Amino acid sequence: MISCWWLERPGGWRALGVGAVLTLAALPAVPLFLEVVLAGGRLSLGSAFGTALGSSFLVAIVTGLLAFGLGLPAGVLSALYEFPGRALLLPLAVLPALVPSFLWAIGWASLSARIGPAVTDFISGQAGCVLVFLAGAVPLVLIASYVATIGLGGSQIDAARLAGGDRAVLRYASGAAAVPAVLAAALSAILTLSDPGPGQILGVRTAASEVLTSFSALYDFPLAGRQCAVLGMLVLLLAAPLAWLAAPRLSVQLMARQTGSPRRPGLRRAGIGITAGFAFLAAGTVLMPGLGLVLPLLRGNDFVQALGVVRRTGADTLLYAGGAGAVATGLGLLLALFAGRDNRLRTLCLGTCLAILALPPALGSLGIVHLAARAPAWADPLLRSRATVCFVLGLRFLPVAAVLAMRAWQSMPISWVQAAELHGVPLARYVTKVVIPFLRPTAAAALALVALLATADVGTVLLLHPPGKTSFSLAIFTVMANAPESLVASLCLAYLAWAGGLLALARAWARRPAR
Amino acid sequence: MSGFQFQFCSVSKVYGGHSALSEVSFTVTAGMHMAILGPSGCGKSTALRLLAGLEAPSQGQVLLDGKAISGANCVLVPPFLRGIAMVFQDLALWPNLTAMGNVLLGLAGAKLTRREARARAEEALTLCGIASLAHRRPGQLSGGEQQRVALARALAARPRLLVLDEPFSSLDIATKARLLDAMRSLAAQRDLTLVLVSHDPQEAAAICQTAVVLEHGRVQESGSLAELIRDPHSQTLKTFRDYCRPHGRGPTAR
Repeated sequence: MISCWWLERPGGWRALGVGAVLTLAALPAVPLFLEVVLAGGRLSLGSAFGTALGSSFLVAIVTGLLAFGLGLPAGVLSALYEFPGRALLLPLAVLPALVPSFLWAIGWASLSARIGPAVTDFISGQAGCVLVFLAGAVPLVLIASYVATIGLGGSQIDAARLAGGDRAVLRYASGAAAVPAVLAAALSAILTLSDPGPGQILGVRTAASEVLTSFSALYDFPLAGRQCAVLGMLVLLLAAPLAWLAAPRLSVQLMARQTGSPRRPGLRRAGIGITAGFAFLAAGTVLMPGLGLVLPLLRGNDFVQALGVVRRTGADTLLYAGGAGAVATGLGLLLALFAGRDNRLRTLCLGTCLAILALPPALGSLGIVHLAARAPAWADPLLRSRATVCFVLGLRFLPVAAVLAMRAWQSMPISWVQAAELHGVPLARYVTKVVIPFLRPTAAAALALVALLATADVGTVLLLHPPGKTSFSLAIFTVMANAPESLVASLCLAYLAWAGGLLALARAWARRPAR
Repeated sequence: MSGFQFQFCSVSKVYGGHSALSEVSFTVTAGMHMAILGPSGCGKSTALRLLAGLEAPSQGQVLLDGKAISGANCVLVPPFLRGIAMVFQDLALWPNLTAMGNVLLGLAGAKLTRREARARAEEALTLCGIASLAHRRPGQLSGGEQQRVALARALAARPRLLVLDEPFSSLDIATKARLLDAMRSLAAQRDLTLVLVSHDPQEAAAICQTAVVLEHGRVQESGSLAELIRDPHSQTLKTFRDYCRPHGRGPTAR
């Protein structure tokens, strides 16, 4: 009989397992990195790439700073206080994180075309890019600050309130949330470097849009590969210290703690101020570009045609999303099992995951394209199929699933296994009766979240999908330049309805009464 | 009940350079309920885990009836073959299973038919006075009811030695008194020997006849609990004696 204690047993197998999963996650990017490293200084990256890189960094820095400035107070205040409209404004502020950024760019572009030259300068170009990227970056910082504040626990908040009133509470909570907020802002800034959508739509040559142009317009995959690898290396240079700083902190915060949630008192006059702030935030990130998407529909909509696109791409979109979710969740759970309660391994996992998340998504896909071009025909089902898309998307979003899985694993007290061991419960029975049911909600949440993020991905599907097997978001991205404005707007709104619906479902699920 | 004797022979346990137990020796004899007393962090729970076989000593041996069951860095007899059951400090109830499910899964190693296992689980739940709550999950039970489920799970395995790792520390005094009473009568009914880990000598005195007092991972004194309380040598019991003196003198008043 295999003992339950096997789940907690230390040993070299844990490091081997962690190494294997992390290597697998990084594997698609290796061919391109190798090519760039082997080429040394003989790299041709295209004439405009250097300028585009500078432009990308400028946008990233401004986005990161503004996201920190807006997201930190928003996260801390929403964790600490009830204010009018909180139930609506908070999800509205978080929604953009689950939607591809190019949707907001389309909305802003449409709005600026209608308002006229008075705002065109502000909404297009680098300023426009910052505005669009902020929609995704602010929610990340907001969530990080919110979680850090909630993590303080009710008694600590009450102690601060007793010591110096709400001013002391805010000072204390902001101090505790500042580091996670800085890290989230830095991560979101790094993520903007890899996102081609806004630059493409708002007329800014960013590094990511240069990569996109190289493979989708020039069909120069080697050039795109080199550009992507160089961008990836720069991103890694930035992300590595960030991961090194953040991983130990995250690793400690993953440990389960028994703390009561802070009590959220309602505010009267100040509450109206907070509501106004959130409304301003929601207007800037969701409502204004949303208005830009609605305005073209006033002259007539193309919902029937949009429905046709949904019908044509729905099955593949669901397949890619579900497949990516399954791959990421399965590997995330494996990573959690291998890392176990070993703090060093957990830190290594988290650091590497953060670095992988920051890498340009096209890097892995171009690596697979690079491999597929050299592989024999029999490898096509492995490298050129819908399963490949699922697998690469799953690896891309593995960090999200891994963090959730490790958190859940840490929540299982070691005494559960000890009790099973003492009673001679066989490992298989313990896993099926206790471990799997306990991890099931987390696995479902990880699967849903990764599925949603994978649905928003455009680069990976664009590079790897088999002919005719496109996804919904890619369909929007492909037609946005040539199709009638009303069709593009209809498609975008259909996407927003799907993301909003999922968010509402997740909210209802989280609020369901405990059984 | 057949007699048995668990012996700790110069057992030490080191965790990453930190010594949790050092040269600890004591004996648990059938029929003599024993308390392991000491302040927080003195190695009480570690001693229990070594006794149960959940961990191996770094040095020394654990013997059962003169035969080694754990040696230096190795567990020779696995936990479920030692005839020991345990009520954990956090109770270690599996949250997704009902009270009945918890007891039934606890019998998984007993090689019983499904019907036998069910009968034994029902008997244990009835014995602990929670048969009517068998279909509830731990989250739907009060603290005292959860303690009883943990106890039922332990008793259903029909152990010869029941180890209690501070299971009453989070309970109010009335519930604690009720459960201590129940423990005493259950032990008598089942001819069960108890080992209770506690930092509270008063709680231990309600059940146990003998005691081992641990401080900084070493045995400070051992023997009859009544005598140890009357004439203490360890800081733990001296403090307890001072605290219990009349005229409201607290532990620091000397």
